[in-house]
Amino acid sequence: MKRISRLLSDRLALLSLAVLAAIAAAGMLAPWLAPHPPDEVNMALRYGPWSLHYPLGNDQLGRCVLSRILYGIRPSVLLVLAAVLASVLIGAAVGMAAGYAGGRTDALLMRLCDVMLSFPGYVMTLAVIGVLGVGLQNILLAFILMKWAWFARIVRSSVRQIADADYVRFARTLGTGSLAILFRHILPVCVPELAVVASSSFGSTLLQVSGLSFLGLGIQAPQAEWGMMLSEARQSMFSRPELMLAPGLMIVLTVSAVNFLSDAMQQAVDPQAGSSKRHQPERAEAALIGREVA
Amino acid sequence: MKHSRNALSAIFILFLIFSSGCSDSGNEPAAEAAKQGQAREIIYASSKDINDMNPHLYSGSMPAQGMIYESLVEKTEDGIKPLLAESWDISEDGMSYTFHLRHGVTFHDGSPFNAEAVKVNIDAVQANAERHAWIKLSTKIKEVRATDEYTVQLLLDEPYYPTLLELSMTRPYVFLSPKDFINGQTKDGVAGYDGTGPYRLADQKPEQYAVFEANESYWGGAPQVKRITAKVLPSGETTLLALQKGEVNFIFTDDRGADGVDVEAMQSLVDSGRYQLLRSKPMNTKMIAANSSSTGPVHERAVRLALWHAVDRETIAGQILHGAESPADSLFSGNVEYADIPLAKRGYDLKHAAELLEDAGWKLENGGETRVKNGRQLALKLYYDAASSSQKTEAELIQSAAKTIGMKLELIGEQSSSVAARRASGDYDLLFNQTWGLAYDPQSTVSAFTAESSYAHTTGGIEGVEELYAKIGQVTGTRDEEKRKALYKEILTTVHDEAVFIPITHGSMAVLAPNDLEGVAFKQTQFELPFELMHFK
Repeated sequence: MKRISRLLSDRLALLSLAVLAAIAAAGMLAPWLAPHPPDEVNMALRYGPWSLHYPLGNDQLGRCVLSRILYGIRPSVLLVLAAVLASVLIGAAVGMAAGYAGGRTDALLMRLCDVMLSFPGYVMTLAVIGVLGVGLQNILLAFILMKWAWFARIVRSSVRQIADADYVRFARTLGTGSLAILFRHILPVCVPELAVVASSSFGSTLLQVSGLSFLGLGIQAPQAEWGMMLSEARQSMFSRPELMLAPGLMIVLTVSAVNFLSDAMQQAVDPQAGSSKRHQPERAEAALIGREVA
Repeated sequence: MKHSRNALSAIFILFLIFSSGCSDSGNEPAAEAAKQGQAREIIYASSKDINDMNPHLYSGSMPAQGMIYESLVEKTEDGIKPLLAESWDISEDGMSYTFHLRHGVTFHDGSPFNAEAVKVNIDAVQANAERHAWIKLSTKIKEVRATDEYTVQLLLDEPYYPTLLELSMTRPYVFLSPKDFINGQTKDGVAGYDGTGPYRLADQKPEQYAVFEANESYWGGAPQVKRITAKVLPSGETTLLALQKGEVNFIFTDDRGADGVDVEAMQSLVDSGRYQLLRSKPMNTKMIAANSSSTGPVHERAVRLALWHAVDRETIAGQILHGAESPADSLFSGNVEYADIPLAKRGYDLKHAAELLEDAGWKLENGGETRVKNGRQLALKLYYDAASSSQKTEAELIQSAAKTIGMKLELIGEQSSSVAARRASGDYDLLFNQTWGLAYDPQSTVSAFTAESSYAHTTGGIEGVEELYAKIGQVTGTRDEEKRKALYKEILTTVHDEAVFIPITHGSMAVLAPNDLEGVAFKQTQFELPFELMHFK
C-alpha cells in the first residue's frame, strides 16, 4: 500500500492515470457520449469543418470524426489492454509453474519460451495475418502468442528468487498446498514487477497495433480505429491535413500517458531504480551502482 | 529502456503530423530550374516495379511493354491500321490471314524483323497455350507459315472475326528478337528484351527504377523524348511530393485503373501552373463483379439486383471522383461496339432494393440489422484494391447504403494481385473490377465471361448459363454482322438482367504531364500511352 501511495504522490503519474481512466471510460461509454453513430455516412458533409454539431469535423465520407475517435478507443485501447492482460495471465501461469516446479518442467517451459522469443515480433505477426487473414483479432492473437513468453520469463525469475525463501519453506512445512503457496505467498511478490513490465508493454503494443491498422492489416471498415483513421486521412494528407490531427494526437496522448505511468510505477516499486531528474542525484547514482552489481 | 523509446516514437509521430501540415505548399523551383539546363526527359511514377518484360507472359507492366514491343496491327479510332504489317489479305472463308510485313524493321539487338521472326514468336506463344487461354485467338490458330522473307500466313481452325483485334493487343502477340529466346521458347524466361518499339529497356533496378532510351533506328523515326524513366513510388503521398519537387514529372492511370494521386491533389498541381491534366474519353467500366456461382446469398439474383440499386453512382462520380468519371448504368457504355442496346436502367433506389429483398424472402427479424433467410444472414464480402485511392471510400459508401436495406457488407482491402487471384479461384462474394477497355470490349471481355481465370465464377451461377456460353462461343465465329449484333445483344441483355456485373462508373485514363510537354495523346487502350509522339516545347 505504501507503493500505491508513493505512486499517487507523483503528480505526473496521477495525471497520466486520470487521462487513461478518462479515455477508458469514454471508450466504454462511447454509445452514450458520441454525438452521432460512428459509421453514419453523409456525403453532403464530406470534409466538413469543425462545428457545434460536429466538434471535430467530418471525414471523407461525412462521418463524425469525434464519434469515430470515441468508438475507436475500443479497438485501439480497450482491446489492446485485454490482449496484454491475456498474455500476462498466460505468462504468469507458465512462469509460476516453471519457477516453482523447477527441474524438467522448468527446462521444458523455458526452452519453449526461448523458441517463442527467438522470432522477431513483427515477422510472427505478419505470419499469423498471412495464415489467418487480416483483422484486429488476428493481430491481437499474434501479440498474445508472442508476448506471453516474455512475461513467463519475468515471472519465473522472480518466483525462483522467492521459491526457496524461508517463509515459503515454512508454509510448505506446515503442509500448505502448492497452489495455495503460489497464490498466497508468491504471486503477491511478483505482481508489482509484472505490473511495470505489462504497462510498458501495453504502450508499445498500442503503437504497434495502430501501425498495423495504418497499413490496412488490422481492423476492417467501417469500424473506427485510430491507426486506420490516420491511414484514411493520409489519402488527403496534403489537401486536408487537419484530418490527421485528431487520431494522431489521441495516439500520442494515450501512449505518452501509459509511458509516464509506467515510469512512475517503476519508481514506486523500486525507488532506487529511478533514473528521472525528479529524484535526488545520489539516488540515481545508487541506482547506477545497483544496476552494475546486478 | 523500452518505454522511453516508445515515448520517442510518439513524439516522432507528433512531429510528422505537424510537419506534414505545414509543408503542403513546398514548391521547389530550384530543382525545376536545374532541370531546364539539360535535355528534358519524362520520369513517370509507377506504383509497382515494371517487373518481367517478357512480352509473352503477364507479370510485366503493360505501358512499359507497349514502349518496347509492337504488334502486327494497331487499333485506332478509325479501326485497324497497319503497324509491323503494312497490309493484309483475308481469305473468303475467314480462315487464312496473309500479312505483308514492313521492310527494313530491326529489333533493338540489330537482328532483322522478318517472316521467320513472326513465325517463331507466334509459335512460342502457342507453345504455352494454357497461359493464353483468355485470348480466344490462341485456341484458333492452326499454323503460321513464313511464305517468303516478308510474307506470313496465319491459318485458323475456324473463322474468328476478332483476329485482327486480338493481334493488336499489347500482349501476347508482339515480337521479341528470336536471339533472346531460350531453347527456342519464351515461356521459361528470355535472355533479353529486344523488341521493335520506339524505346528500348536500358536499365532496370528492381523495385527502384527502369530506364528506357529512344530507339534511334526506329522505323517510324526516332522519338524526340530521348529518355523515359519509370520510378517506383508505391504510395500516393510520396508521388505527390515527388511531383512537387520535380523528382518525377509524369503520372498516368496504371494498368489496374488506379490513379495513385487523388483527384483533388492532381487539380492542385494543375493550379500551381506547372502541370497539365488530360483525360481520355471513357475507356472502360468500373464495376463490382458478383460471384453468382457461390453458394452464399450472392447466388440469388434478387440480392445482386438489390445491391445494384444500393449503389449511389451520382455521388461516387460527382463527389468521390470529383466528376472525373461518369455514372455507369450498364456493363459497357453505348460507344462500345455492339453495346448500344436498350437495357433497363436501375438507379439508386434503396426503397426498391429493400422490397426486392423482402420479396425474395430476406426478412428483418426482431429488430436485427441484417436480413435473414432460412437462418442465414445476408452478409457478403467485398474485396477492393488497397492501393487504389478511391475504391475504399466507394466501398464504404456502398456499405453504408447496403446497411440501411439490411445487407451487411464486409470490406477487405488486398493487393491487386490477390484480388485477381480471388477472381480466378472464385473465393469471393463481390470484388471491384473493371472491363478491359476499348481494345478488348466487348469481344475479349465477353469471351472472358467463360474463362476460368477471369469471370467464369461471376457468370457461372446464372440461370441458363449453358445457353449463354454457347452464344459466346458462337459469336466470334459469326461472319454475318447482323447476326453478330443480335447475339451480342442477347448476351449483354442476359448478364444485365442477371446483374452479375454491377456497374459503377465509366472510367477514363488520366495523364498529368509537365505544361510544356506536347503531343500527349491516348491510344485505344487503357494499357499503353504513345510516348513516341510526345515532345517538349
